[in-house]
Formats: sequence, structure tokens, C-alpha cells
Amino acid sequence: MKRGEKGMEQGKITREGGHRVWALAVLGLVCIGLEIIVHLYFRTAVGYTHIFYILLVLSALWYHHKALFIAGGLVCATLATSLFVGDLTWATILRVAMFLVITWIVATISEERDRANRELAEKKEEIERKHYALVGYISEAALRMKNPLEMLRDNLTSMRMQLDQGPDIDELKMMLSVQITHLEQIIENFRELNREIIEERDEIPQAFRDFLTR
Amino acid sequence: METQFDITRLGQEKLFLILSSAERLRQNNIRVIKTLIDKGYRVIVITTNQPSAILKKHYAAEGIDMGKVTFIDAITKYAIGRIPEGETGTKFVNSPSNLTDLGIAITEVLNPASGERSCLLFDSISTMLIYLPSIHISKFIHFVTSKLRLLDVPGIFLAVEKGIDPLLLTQLTTYVDDVIDMDRPPGLPEHESKPLGT
Repeated sequence: MKRGEKGMEQGKITREGGHRVWALAVLGLVCIGLEIIVHLYFRTAVGYTHIFYILLVLSALWYHHKALFIAGGLVCATLATSLFVGDLTWATILRVAMFLVITWIVATISEERDRANRELAEKKEEIERKHYALVGYISEAALRMKNPLEMLRDNLTSMRMQLDQGPDIDELKMMLSVQITHLEQIIENFRELNREIIEERDEIPQAFRDFLTR
Repeated sequence: METQFDITRLGQEKLFLILSSAERLRQNNIRVIKTLIDKGYRVIVITTNQPSAILKKHYAAEGIDMGKVTFIDAITKYAIGRIPEGETGTKFVNSPSNLTDLGIAITEVLNPASGERSCLLFDSISTMLIYLPSIHISKFIHFVTSKLRLLDVPGIFLAVEKGIDPLLLTQLTTYVDDVIDMDRPPGLPEHESKPLGT
């Protein structure tokens, strides 16, 4: 991922984080309000707690196991109100226990999902980075092979023409030595490219690795 | 398809990148050097493609005054393993990839106290690509062009057209004053200005 893209991504995450805090704060106030109005004022202990799960699930999705603090807060509020109202029963205990259990399950699943996504993104970025490096290397190697081979061809053509015009043996020998040196270097460049490719690709069998770098 | 290299521009524009087809590289080299010597320049030829001994023969056959040509030969010693006997007026460098020695040789040759007008001819960037990654070549050409500008010496860099990738070509055009395509068909302008964005 490029630096600009990373910066934009970071900004998006920060904005999203702000929205999430606000959403949870509003939901938290709604839950406390329901606890006070419905439970404390109207003395009704059923129904309204379903709204709590919205807050608990969202906070577990976004903040994973930290959401257990919110669940703990709601448990305390519910128990305190029940004690004050005098309707503390096994059903109340079961209800508040479910707050914690549901929050923990959602937090664990979402944490695992985020970890897998992160690993996937890291692997993708690593593959892309290697791919770009390889493409760059291949284009450089092509540049250092195609063009020199054309020059070599023209030098050899020129030498061939010289042979027709009465050759200067010493000159031809010297030119041939130069062409051989050029060729040796081109072969070495090719080997280097093969080595680079092999280092990138783990799945190439050893026998082929040896063949390509010989 | 005879185009004349417009040497009069050397006064205002000192550094040129000359593009040539591979098959006409040697002829174009000779044309450029003849024109430069006719204009009174002492030419310093840096050769990485053909041994200086062979170039000398070709130049002599074309009637070029060899007293006006100095060679920096980066291929002979590397290719045949020794310096040929009786080679005078030539500085030999161990290998085209030895940029340090090449740089030292250029500095030495560019600083004679003769008072002659000198011009550097680099033949060729394309051959250097066999021995070095393009990034090193780009840095080296930048070093040479900076030195030439400081010493107020004109320089000509030969390269095979279509043999240089767009990135390297863009970098090279930023170092020189103009790009000349020697094999451009008649009717079209001989030289092209620097590409936009350079």
C-alpha cells in the first residue's frame, strides 16, 4: 500500500473510531435511561433489556473484549436497580449472566475475524511488494538483454561483412573477444534474473532451481 | 537518409544525447567525430563497445586526424585481458563496470593544460547496460554531465534508440540540453526538444 493510500486509510479509521464512540455513548445513555425509566420508575423488569444487546454486540464487534467493561457496567446497573426495586430473582441473575456471555462470544469471534483479515491484508501487501519488485527486476533485465543482444547481432553482422571484404584477422579476433565478453555478461545477467525469480518462488522444485542457476 | 549533426548549437547547448539505430551506431559515431574535429575540437572518445584499436583504424580510414582524438577504452583490457602493444593516446580502464576508474580517467583527460577546446563523446550508454544496472548508469551520466558543465566542456552521449527504457531515457534527457535522433527520416526535424515534464 502506498504512503498516500495508507494516510487516507488511517484518516478513515480515525473518523470511524470517533463515530463509533459517539454511537456507543448514545446507546449507553439510552440503556441507562431505560433502566431508570422502565425498571426503576415503571417497575417492569422484562423486555427493555433486549435493547442492551444492541450496545453489547456493537461494542464487542468494534472493541472486542474491552466490551466486557460495558457489559459489567450494565450488569451492575441492572443488579443495583433490581435490589432497589426488590425484584432480584434467578431470572435477573440469568439475564445479567447472558449480558456477559453474549458479549464474550461476539468479542472472541470478531477478534478472531479481525486477526484473520489483518493477516490476509499483510500477506497480500507482502505478495504485492514482491510482485512489484519482480516486475521491476524483469523489466531491468529485459533492458539489459534485449538491447545488448541487438548490438551483438549488429556487431557480428558487421564482422561478417568484413570477412567478404578481405578480413583483418587480428581485428576480427579482437572484435570476437569483445563479443564473447559481452555475451558472457549477458548470460550472467540472465542467471542473476533466474536467481531472483527462484528466491521469489518457493514452489519451484530443487532440480529446476539448480538447472536455472547453472 | 543523410542528416547533418548541427554542431553550431554546441555554443549554446553543450550536452547532447544522440540516439541512433544499432546498425548505424558506428557510422554515426564517425559522422559526429568528423564534424567535431572539423570544428576544431579535440575529441575524447569513451568506448565501451568497440576496442579503441579498431576504432582508430576506422577513423584513420575515414581520414580523421588521430592527433585530435584521445581514447578512454573500457572494453579492450576486460575483453582480451591485456593492453595491445603500441597503443598511445589511450587510457585503459579495467572494466566498463568500474565506474570509479572510468570517472578518474575522465577527470584526468579533461584537465590537460593544452588550452585546446575539448569535447567528450561517450560510445555508448547502451553497451553500459550490459554491465551495469540502469540506476548506476543514470548516476554516472549525471556525474559526468555535472563535471562537463563545471569545466564548460561539451559532451555527446550515444545510445541505441528503442534500446533504452522510458524511465532511463527521461532521466538522461534531464541531464543533457537536447536529444538528437540521428536516424530520423528526412522531412522531420533532426532534433527533438526535451520531453515535457523533464
